[in-house]
Formats: sequence, C-alpha cells, structure tokens
Amino acid sequence: MTTTAVPEAQGSGPAQQSQPPINGLRQLVSDVLSINPVVLKELRGRMRGARAFVVLTVYLVLLAGFVIFLYYLYSASTATAFSASQRGLVGKFVFGGVVGIELLLVCFIAPAFTVGAVSGERERQTYDLLRTTLLPARSLVLGKLGSALVYILLLLFTALPLQSLAFLLGGVAIEELVLATLLLVTCAFLFSSAGVYFSSLMRRTLGATVLTFGFVLLSLLALPLLLIPLLVFSSAFSFFGSPSVLVQAVMLYAGLLLSATNPIATMIISEVMIVDQTTGLWYATVPLSDPMSGAIGFTAYVPSPWMLFTVFAGVLGVIFVLLAVLNVSRRER
Amino acid sequence: MSLILETRDLAKSYGQFQAVKGMSLQVVQGAIYGFVGPNGAGKTTTMRIITTLLEPTSGEAYVGGHSVRSAPDDVRRLIGYMPDFFGVYDDMTVWEYLDFFAACYKVPDAQRRRLIDDLLELVDLGHKRDVQVDTLSRGMKQRLCLARTLAHDPQVLILDEPASGLDPRARVEIRELLVELSRMGKTVFFSTHILADVAEICTHIGIVEGGRLVAQGSMADMQRQLRPHRTLRVQFLALQDVLTRAQSVVFGREGVLAVRPIDDDEGPPTLEVDFGGDAAGVSLLLSLLVAQKLPVLHFSETRQELEDVFMQITNGARTS
Repeated sequence: MTTTAVPEAQGSGPAQQSQPPINGLRQLVSDVLSINPVVLKELRGRMRGARAFVVLTVYLVLLAGFVIFLYYLYSASTATAFSASQRGLVGKFVFGGVVGIELLLVCFIAPAFTVGAVSGERERQTYDLLRTTLLPARSLVLGKLGSALVYILLLLFTALPLQSLAFLLGGVAIEELVLATLLLVTCAFLFSSAGVYFSSLMRRTLGATVLTFGFVLLSLLALPLLLIPLLVFSSAFSFFGSPSVLVQAVMLYAGLLLSATNPIATMIISEVMIVDQTTGLWYATVPLSDPMSGAIGFTAYVPSPWMLFTVFAGVLGVIFVLLAVLNVSRRER
Repeated sequence: MSLILETRDLAKSYGQFQAVKGMSLQVVQGAIYGFVGPNGAGKTTTMRIITTLLEPTSGEAYVGGHSVRSAPDDVRRLIGYMPDFFGVYDDMTVWEYLDFFAACYKVPDAQRRRLIDDLLELVDLGHKRDVQVDTLSRGMKQRLCLARTLAHDPQVLILDEPASGLDPRARVEIRELLVELSRMGKTVFFSTHILADVAEICTHIGIVEGGRLVAQGSMADMQRQLRPHRTLRVQFLALQDVLTRAQSVVFGREGVLAVRPIDDDEGPPTLEVDFGGDAAGVSLLLSLLVAQKLPVLHFSETRQELEDVFMQITNGARTS
C-alpha cells in the first residue's frame, strides 16, 4: 500500500517548509557583499598560476612604454626647455593618452570577460548542474559580472600611477583623474553587463560574442556615423538663414543627449568643458542669440555629458543585468 | 510505504512531437528504482522535468510533496541530480569542485571541509583530493559527480545513465555505491539501458517506451505479472524414445499447459513443460517421471530473464 507524494496526502510525510520570503533588496545587498560562490570560483580560476600576473605585467609594461613614447614624442617636437604651460600640455597629453588606451581596453576586454559567462556554462555542460542547486539566478549573474569587474578594476587601478605621472608635469586636476576613472568604471559595467546579457540569451558563446561586440561597436561608432548626415542637414538648414532660438536650443540639447551615449564623445566634451574657464565640471551656460535682432534671447544651461552618460550607462547596465537574471531563471520550454 | 516521487499524467511536447505522454510514475521512499527504456523513450525528458529544468506541457510532478512547477526550490533541496554527461571546470581541483557545489547548495562554510572529506571517502576518492578534475578517469569523474549530488544530503538521487560509458570495473563500483546509498536511506531513481544492472540492484522498475510508462512495480511483482505460469526444463539421458515416453507421462496431468520436446544434436534430449500448478504439483511431476524409470539428468524451473520481460513488454507496447 502506497501513499501519494502530493501535499494533500497524509502519508507522504511532512513536506519541507519553504523559506520565508526574504526582502529582495536585502538579499541583493547580501549577495553583493558576501562571498558569492561563483565570484570565488571565477577568481580562483582567473588568478591561479602565472597567467593573471603575466597579463597584468605585460599590460603595465606596454602602457608604461606608451607613456614614455608620448613624452618623448612631445619633447622632441619642442626644441627648447619646457615652460610651465608647456609642461602642463605634456601632462595633459600623457594623461589623455593613458585614459584613451584604458578606454579601448575597457570597451573590448570587459565584454570579452563576460561574453561566455552563461553560454560557456552551457557549452561545458555545467549549466544544468548549477540550475538544480539552490544558487539563485541573480547570484549566478552577479557572480559572473562581479568577478569580471573585479579583474577589470584591478587593471584600471594598477594603471593609476601611470595616469598620475601627469601630476608631476602639471596641467591635470584631481577632478579630471576622478572623472576619468568614474567614466572608465561606468563603461566597464555597461559593456560587462551587455556581455552577460547576450551570453544568457544565446546558446553558444560565438553568437553571444557577435552580438556583444556588435553592441560595443554600435556604442562607439553610431554617433560619428549619425553626425555625418546631421552636419549635412544643419548646413542645408543654415542656407535658409540662422535658426530661431527654439531650434538652436533643441539642436543643442539633442546634440548633448547624443554625445552622452558615446563614451569617447563624453570624455572629450567633458574635458573641454573643464578646461574652458567659462564653463566647469558640472555644467556650462550657452547664450543663444535671436537671429533677427542679434540680442541674447535665451541662456541655455547645459549639464556636462559625463553626468548623463553615467546615468544612461548605469541604467542600461542594470537593465542588461535584470534581463540576464530573467533569462537564467527561466525554465527551459 | 510512502511515495517520495510521483508524476501524474505528465506530458511534454515539442511542436508536433510528443516526447512524454501521460507519464504517471510512483517511486516509494527508500527504493532503488530503475527507469528502463530504449533511446528516445522519454527518460531524460521526464528526469529533466522532475529536476525542475524543463517545463512540462501538462500534468504534474511532485518530489517529497512539493510540486516541481510551483515549488522548484523545495524540490531542489530534496534532490541530487546527475545528468548523463559530466560537466568539467578547467583549473579546478577535486576539493574545490565539491566545495563550490556545496556552497551553491548553501552548506555553511564551517561544515564544508568535514563534509567534503566524508564525501570523498564515500566515493573512494580521498587520495585525489588535490588533483585537477579534468585529469580524472571517467569512472572517477562519475564517482565525483555522485559525491557532488550528495553535498546537501538530499533524500532522492536522480541519476541519468550513471553507468553509461564506464568500463566493467567502474560499473560495478557505481552499482555498489548505489546500493550503499540506498542502505543510507536515500531513494535512488536512475535511468539505464543496462538491464543487468537493474536486475542486480533494483527493488522497483518502470519500463518506458515511446514516451509512455508501459509497466512499473516491484521487481518481484513485475516478473509474476508477466509470467503467469512456470516453465520446467527436464533433461534426460539420450536413450531410444525417451522424449516420447516422457511426453506420454506428463501430457494431460493436472496443471500441465503445454509440452515441448527439444531434441537436437547440441545437448541431451530435453522437455519443456509450461506448468500452472504449485510447488507440490512440480514435485509430483518429477516423482512421476522417476517412477516411470525415465533417466532424468536435470530438472529445473527456468527463470525469465529481465531481457525477456523487457522485450515482452516493449513489443506489446509497440503493437498496441
């Protein structure tokens, strides 16, 4: 005589009680702060042996070589000894070069670290093993993302002394260093999240790689490609005379929004606003003149694009993470 | 006995193709349940539904009273799943592999070291503790995978083809491990093609064919159901007309259903008798043959092999 395994039957023994619902935010914070087994496993794998340290050393040697090359390039172009203002320019040149290299690194290496996060588990045939454990989908996704970000942060922070060489030469303010680091970390988060999302979407890492790097290239190249027809359009528009204050304001803010979707444009415009004494770190005021009278019709307050980019990339990154969690937690159909 | 695992009219379709059709399994607590069927019969699909990996099209599955649809975490707490492949992480030692999965099962850090040592001892891999997982032999990997399924002390082990691709020694080791786990109170639900393994260790069997469960029950019940009568095999010394005389003695006796003489050059003259009587009737039949001075060399009841049972059931399912 057997009794049923369903809950309404008495004979199947006391069913194990479900965990009480835990506050989602508290659990999320706990996941991030405590040692997530996935983070531990990934970092163990990544930092084991000489590979991680060889990569780090080669990266820093190449970056240092690039800084020395920039310094000598600039010094060779000036016959006489540097004046204080020239030293400042050299400092900016070196700083800009290092940040530019780091930006390229973040754009292409950050997604490469995460593009196999979920699809790689499928290919190794370990995905089913993980999905039948008690590891929540969000821990898997955050663990993969976190371990990738930790290694990228290691690369970025080990390069800080090279960026700081600019301080010896002058011309670079501390807020520029902080801002550059913030934008690099934001980019790393956005592109790593994109990698995790596409990895959770595709069965194979190859497909995830194509989509992820397609997204990265779109982020970097969409603005320049869009600017070409926009410039043609604006020059055609100027043929009919100067635009009204309203059109000028719309074009100004649209341009700002567009530039805030591109990390390179964001960095350049933010730096220009910092350097320009009339503007600043946070915002600029742009006077818009009336085409008929020539008088100042409206003063537009333009926030620095780094703020918009940080919000835009942060929100988009969070959306990618949430979608990845959704994909992982979804049962196969 | 209470049921630890049950499916009710479970079905799974992929477009027009029905992989599982109205499967109603019942696995009692503490059983070693062999889930037997040919390739493509729906075994893995059923197991993937039970382990919460796959959404069923219709029907329900319960483990320990928890629905796989509505309480997957509770089900995962009760099961240890070993798929028919072995997922390997590069650059991971045996100890780290078990530590990682124990952490995924939320085993507290303080208990893990002791637990891993115990598990490695159970599967006889204590000496491979610090060896890279990908350097282990297939049999060792399979044992390690079994140890992984035990990390959170589950009640039910769901094993998909655990002996597939193993050499004879590794197969025996896995079989012994399953029996040991059953002694420890675990319910073992495993799929296999290897009927010898089922005959050797299973207490219960479910036979699946074309997505349907065509028979299930305890091994003894199953053999009784499929063979309503005994088949007796009597061998004689090769004398003139011995089979004709024996046939005349046996034929028409109470309980005798059929008599088949087998007289070929390969062995002694043999008579096969389908007999519907009890043990006393068998004894009486033997004494009659001896009383007629027939030279009986060997008298035995033939056991129906599991292969025969399987073929009989699956052929029936195909033709119906």
